[in-house]
Amino acid sequence: MYRYDEFDAEMVSSRVDQFRSQVNRRLSGELTEAEFRPLRLMNGLYLQLHAYMLRVAVPYGTLNSTQMRKLADLADKYDKGYGHITTRQNVQFNWPQLTDVPDMLEELASVEMHAIQTSGNCIRNVTSDPYAGAIADEIEDPRPTCEILRQWSTLHPEFTFLPRKFKIAVIATEKDRALVRAHDIGIEIIKNAEGETGYRIIVGGGLGRTPIIGQVLREFLPRIELLPYLEATLRVYNRYGRRDNKYKARIKILVQETGIETFREQVEAEYSELVPLDIAVSPEEVSRITDYFAPPAFKKLEACEIKTKDSALARWMKHNVLPHKVDGYAIVNISLKPIERAPGDVTSEQMRVVADLAEKYSFSELRTTHQQNLVLPHVEISELENVYKALQAAKMGDANIGLISDIICCPGMDFCALATARSIPVSQAIAERFQDLEHQSVIGDMQIKISGCINACGHHHVGHIGILGLEKAGVEFYQVKIGGDPSENTALGQVTGPGFSQEELIDGIERMVDHYIEIREAKERFIDTVRRVGVEPFKEVLYV
Amino acid sequence: MSTLKHKGKGPQALTANTLRDGLNVWLTPEFEWSMNYAEALITEDTALIDKMNTCGERDEVNNLVVGVYFIDVEPDTGLPARYREKFRVKGPTYDTATLVPLEIQKV
Repeated sequence: MYRYDEFDAEMVSSRVDQFRSQVNRRLSGELTEAEFRPLRLMNGLYLQLHAYMLRVAVPYGTLNSTQMRKLADLADKYDKGYGHITTRQNVQFNWPQLTDVPDMLEELASVEMHAIQTSGNCIRNVTSDPYAGAIADEIEDPRPTCEILRQWSTLHPEFTFLPRKFKIAVIATEKDRALVRAHDIGIEIIKNAEGETGYRIIVGGGLGRTPIIGQVLREFLPRIELLPYLEATLRVYNRYGRRDNKYKARIKILVQETGIETFREQVEAEYSELVPLDIAVSPEEVSRITDYFAPPAFKKLEACEIKTKDSALARWMKHNVLPHKVDGYAIVNISLKPIERAPGDVTSEQMRVVADLAEKYSFSELRTTHQQNLVLPHVEISELENVYKALQAAKMGDANIGLISDIICCPGMDFCALATARSIPVSQAIAERFQDLEHQSVIGDMQIKISGCINACGHHHVGHIGILGLEKAGVEFYQVKIGGDPSENTALGQVTGPGFSQEELIDGIERMVDHYIEIREAKERFIDTVRRVGVEPFKEVLYV
Repeated sequence: MSTLKHKGKGPQALTANTLRDGLNVWLTPEFEWSMNYAEALITEDTALIDKMNTCGERDEVNNLVVGVYFIDVEPDTGLPARYREKFRVKGPTYDTATLVPLEIQKV
């Protein structure tokens, strides 16, 4: 993985000193809250419903064991002994004290981490495929591209005060595990007809109160042109993006109001004015950065399979383990979705277990996923049983990746200052209703996503079943969407109608699932059946 | 301080977050801040509300609290009227901290 050079280290270290000084000046009254607020947000520090919240950046979801142990230490030393994996692959702490945050940032800097640009109207943490560097069908490891984007966008003087926040995701496989079409800019690493590697640039996607699927801005962008072209795109957004209304300030609204053809012309016009080579990254620099992501020293192993009579282990391998690009290795998904817990939460004790497992079995590498789980990317197949037993002992052995209880869920009203309803208890109730793992296997691939307000941090618009929590006159109710899809076939769900109480909602979901099992054909997934028969039959059983 | 001005109806309480640790607090009859809502000053008396307003402004300027605002209170129950504020009073209905031994929690 990428290692800081002297400039990175100096920048992050000086940023800690700067923030420590800002906090001291705030505490002494030299800075008012109005002056301090944008400064703390630039360092990922929010004030939430009950306390401050610190969001730590995990660039493209890649961590090592040392960094994970540091997160565990921070959770114990400065918080309540746990952290939360977000849908943008970051880690949040829910209860830090302002006076401790400079020390937290200093400790993070010691392991090459920070909280810069995890908030504010800037280019946020670049996200990617959690299987990068391990999955067989990728054109190349997308993380060098992510790292180039990270370096370009960090403290970029032109793009520190954009009209609104700006999110970029990068993938290098046909299968989309990073939701690229719901990002301000999505980048797909592809090959053209001549076999050259380059980028498909997608623009104007997003969820929130106005969900829009991104459109292709450039079908094929040569590798050398990436930064100049993105620079031109961001300039057009910076110039024309609306600043009069924060709800219309994202690039998706600009692209929608301008039209993709005109927007493209504006970008190309801006691009033609640039001197690309002034900004472009040289092949030598690309090569230098790519070297940081060289594959670990894999052993030469025979391709093999594990045959086991242990049904729990077999189920876990079926749902949580994926083939690796190197014979004899596997990708292990660690579920953070046990029935009774909050999706994405992980205790400090569990963090240390995962760090140890990564060190022992996965070249010290691990990943966070936008699905709010963890990944050990490079595990020898012969060690899978040992990994499973250790995870099970730490209550992380749930075999439910991609199943109905693998729910994306925002913190909702339990923690978030913007929420209108709770989402964690709804997720727990669904997981409890479908707790029979055998039944979950029978249901198969299912993506339920829950947001506690229209800002859609829980990605409900792209859930096969999406749930939006609202409140009226002191009563929570939940609106249902059906037919969304977070994959490469990205689709937005359709609202079914009036909302339900939590109890009615769980019953309604069960009826929809039963109906799906009854009418599905062959190996149809829930989303396939919805596409074949339409939303109407599911609405009928939902509102019976 | 625009959010501070009293605009509510019926009984009012004054809430904020402490600057240093960010936790929720409510103004007490002694014009001090308490983390316990049961100790909150709840009143419809406009003169008293003006005094609470002054106190909130003063303590923001003195860097004790941030985000000061009045909340409506249900006359019958004494609880916050708004759903969101009920959660500020009760805290999260689920917190993973309950799984962590208290001796290793800083907060």
